[in-house]
Amino acid sequence: MRGKIHRRALLRGMLAGAGAVTVGLPLLDAFLDGSGKAMANGERLPPRFGLFFFGNGVHPERWIPTGDGMDWTLSEQLEPLRGLESEFSVISGMEVKTPNDIPHGSGEAGILSGAALIIEGEHNTFRAPSIDQIIANEIGTTTRFKSIEFGAQAGGGGSYNGPDNRNPPETSPFALYERVFGAGFRAPGEEGEIDPKIALRRSVLDAVMEDSKKLQARVGANDKRRLEQHFTSIRELELRLSRLEEDPPSRAACMRPGDTPMMAYPDVDGRPQITAKNRAMCDIMAMALACDQTRVFSNFITAPVNNLLFQGAMAGHHQLTHDEPGDQPQVHAIVLQLMEEVAYMIETLRAVPEGDATLLDNCGVLITTDVSYGRTHSLDEFPILIAGSAGGKLKKGYHYRSQNKENASKVHVTLMRALGINVEGFGVDEGFASDSIGALEV
Amino acid sequence: MSSQTTARKLANLTAMLCLLGLGITGCRESAPTQDAPDTKAAIEAAAHDPAPANLMRLTQAQYSNSVHDILGDDIVVPAKLEPDIRAGDFIALGAGKTTISARGAELYEQAAHDIAEQTLEKHGDTFVTCTPDALSNTTDVEECAGEFVDLLGPKLWRRPLASPERERLIAIARTSATTLGDFDQGLVFALATMLQSPNFLFRAEVGLEESGEQPRALDNWEVASKLSYVLWNTTPDEALLEAAGRGELTDDEGLAAQIDRMLEDERARHGLRAFFSDLYQLERLDGLTKAPELFEHISEEVGPSAREETLRTIEHLVFDLRGDWRDIMTTRETFINRKMASIYNMRSPAREGFAMATHPSDTPRQGLLGMTSILALYAHPVSTSPTLRGMFVRTKLLCQPIPAPPAGVDTSIPEPSGKAPTLRARIAEHLEEPTCAGCHNLMDPIGLGLEHFDGLGRFRSRDNGVEIDASGKLDGVEFSDLSSLAVAIRDHDRFGVCLTRKYYQYATGQELAEGPEPDLVVAISDHFAASDFDVLEMMRATLLSRGFRTVASPATQHSQSEEAKEEVE
Repeated sequence: MRGKIHRRALLRGMLAGAGAVTVGLPLLDAFLDGSGKAMANGERLPPRFGLFFFGNGVHPERWIPTGDGMDWTLSEQLEPLRGLESEFSVISGMEVKTPNDIPHGSGEAGILSGAALIIEGEHNTFRAPSIDQIIANEIGTTTRFKSIEFGAQAGGGGSYNGPDNRNPPETSPFALYERVFGAGFRAPGEEGEIDPKIALRRSVLDAVMEDSKKLQARVGANDKRRLEQHFTSIRELELRLSRLEEDPPSRAACMRPGDTPMMAYPDVDGRPQITAKNRAMCDIMAMALACDQTRVFSNFITAPVNNLLFQGAMAGHHQLTHDEPGDQPQVHAIVLQLMEEVAYMIETLRAVPEGDATLLDNCGVLITTDVSYGRTHSLDEFPILIAGSAGGKLKKGYHYRSQNKENASKVHVTLMRALGINVEGFGVDEGFASDSIGALEV
Repeated sequence: MSSQTTARKLANLTAMLCLLGLGITGCRESAPTQDAPDTKAAIEAAAHDPAPANLMRLTQAQYSNSVHDILGDDIVVPAKLEPDIRAGDFIALGAGKTTISARGAELYEQAAHDIAEQTLEKHGDTFVTCTPDALSNTTDVEECAGEFVDLLGPKLWRRPLASPERERLIAIARTSATTLGDFDQGLVFALATMLQSPNFLFRAEVGLEESGEQPRALDNWEVASKLSYVLWNTTPDEALLEAAGRGELTDDEGLAAQIDRMLEDERARHGLRAFFSDLYQLERLDGLTKAPELFEHISEEVGPSAREETLRTIEHLVFDLRGDWRDIMTTRETFINRKMASIYNMRSPAREGFAMATHPSDTPRQGLLGMTSILALYAHPVSTSPTLRGMFVRTKLLCQPIPAPPAGVDTSIPEPSGKAPTLRARIAEHLEEPTCAGCHNLMDPIGLGLEHFDGLGRFRSRDNGVEIDASGKLDGVEFSDLSSLAVAIRDHDRFGVCLTRKYYQYATGQELAEGPEPDLVVAISDHFAASDFDVLEMMRATLLSRGFRTVASPATQHSQSEEAKEEVE
């Protein structure tokens, strides 16, 4: 299998490259209680939410594992996750219940927001906020970044605050690094003077917010909402700046990533370097979580309808899903490449210790796509994995097989409740579900 | 899928097809033969639904152009800003829908400080007209900061500053200068404030509240900004702001004088390029992906070169020749560099850069549809796509909407076989499926007329070893290959009205519903035809029309996405 050795070597490289803060480690560990699950002062280590989202679906009959409950075996397309079976659960047989009006777009909106897509001519947008933002508004308000979105492929991403209000993913590993670990960042224990410019920048933002309020009074209801979003964005930025003036969160595993990523990842053989870019960003993200710079991330590795030329493929991904004959060996190979990246993410999060557990244990990561079978844009047999146990609240190593096409939104309800968020349900109209999947709960 | 939903989808599809059929056959209006004055009067008289009151965010290009025009060409504008979104046909319309995300606010903040630092560093001599003797002399600091704010504020915000706005910027400059012990640093913070303000990032087109009219007339400053971003894709120059200050832009003659002046300016060429680039989505050529094992010409240079070819050719036809727009389909003159010459298998007309070349009359290659920009963009990474190319012609050149394919059907086409070696034969098999045929018969036959050009736009006479048959029919007119297809599109009665419709939406910021054209668009289109399809005349008529100068009162608009936004709250 390709990539395995490479990925572990990379991991070692990442952890070895962080010498600067070793002095702080023993001291900081002392803050943990005996079990390592909570801080000594009783505060639980924070649960985190992640999304790993890829485009164009899978081959459901080769994706779904055989057996169920705790007794199941990996499917052909989950083979790259061999050895990691005890770190994630498979949820199969679910259906996205929202109407499938537009190929790919409707499935993306359905699985991420539980709501039908708004379609206005050639323009479409989400009707409701996406799962990552609903969660970020609950668990992301005390960290420097409420959430972080990234993705190896340049694309719009599926993180929405509401209609026409998208959070654009960062596509450059270098820019992602600079954003989190660049100027202003201090690891725990690192000395550093606070730049007086930060306070001045905040006063600039106050003025900008005042301008926004004044302009809001002149415009119509819709534009007012757009300006309110600008206002909210500015206020969040102001909070982010003020967090840089505070002491950094005490987290034992926090270390500035050793190497800054490359500025550019040029195409190789006319094909983008999806894997290398994704891994560089995944490494940064793991440390952003470990340093408690954010508690919510979304990785939009490839986009719905993407027609990327993958390494080894003879046509674009989307075209292959429709035109490749037979059992689609090239599409299959692309799914395997994407699952390799899931495996890399799981290993990277697992490699970060948090007390006697790992960062992965404290995460609930939803892994999914925009359609189940790319060729027909179907929305039943929807591919869904959850990695991590959300702080011990979710079973791992479980295959939940729905026998009656249950609403995929139940997965979101399960995740949110496991993360400690009390919700009535998730989704809108046909997409709404109020029940969680009991079998997955600990 | 249950049989009930299948039945519902089929019913929907049939309904859409009927609509489409009507759209295509019902839109033949008699060709206008009137003189120009009559068509002008018709524009005056034509009814129109006003555009919604808009709040347009500067697109990435507009942000960058504005910074360069006001603060200096040598300012490096960060490449990453809030991404543009496309709505309807245009990024320029998406600017009226999109907002500023948390990430976007961060990017604008960084860009503002970065640009402000550069400005003081590179152009301090120009913009700092006075320096206080000592930072402790508050009066001096405020006076000098005031001069800086007065110089740049009205340019950046495209209107005079209200007194409290001015005072606040001065206060920011003073506090920052004192804290940092440097007067110039104070100005950096004042400038960074102006650049992050919604007064710079957005342009409000909401009209005069006091007027009580319905529709409302835009005020002078709003007209100045709208004119400038539509015609030049950048900020108003001093002459335009001065005209606004004198109240000339709400007056027919004053407005006409400014439009004529602006059309003469070099920036009008940039604006025209921005319009066509947006319409044909040529920005996507930057990320053009083609399999290198099949297309040995492919390199990062191809996409931008192909775009430049198209935009130069359009610019030449519209500005240099003041030619008949329809000739864009059939002209054999084009502008190419060595890269494009090698793809077209021609001798390069210039050692370096672009120069005019003429396609020989014995090849079908001609006009817009013979260009790599369109042929490669509307194709797949490894092959052509008659569907994408046909859809380009229908939606961009003829304004005939094609519904999105239904979800939940197998859309694959058969592989090449002995029975069906060519793409045409494979598609013919595919089109035996009636659910597909309805829409695909509108697109694929047009695209098959371009099969002489591969996925990169190189000429070929055979596909998979078999002679290409590029013949077909476009709305009843037969063609044999691009030579006659180009003529069929040129002479199609939707061709002129379609460009008018597109420009009307681009200029007014109003998305038009599908269906019969509004009277005002028909009237402008008639004027376009009467001017022998002079694009500048069509643009001028659009900008002078009430459609451009009035908006609906902000209170009266409501859309589906707004309702959803209310639900969210």
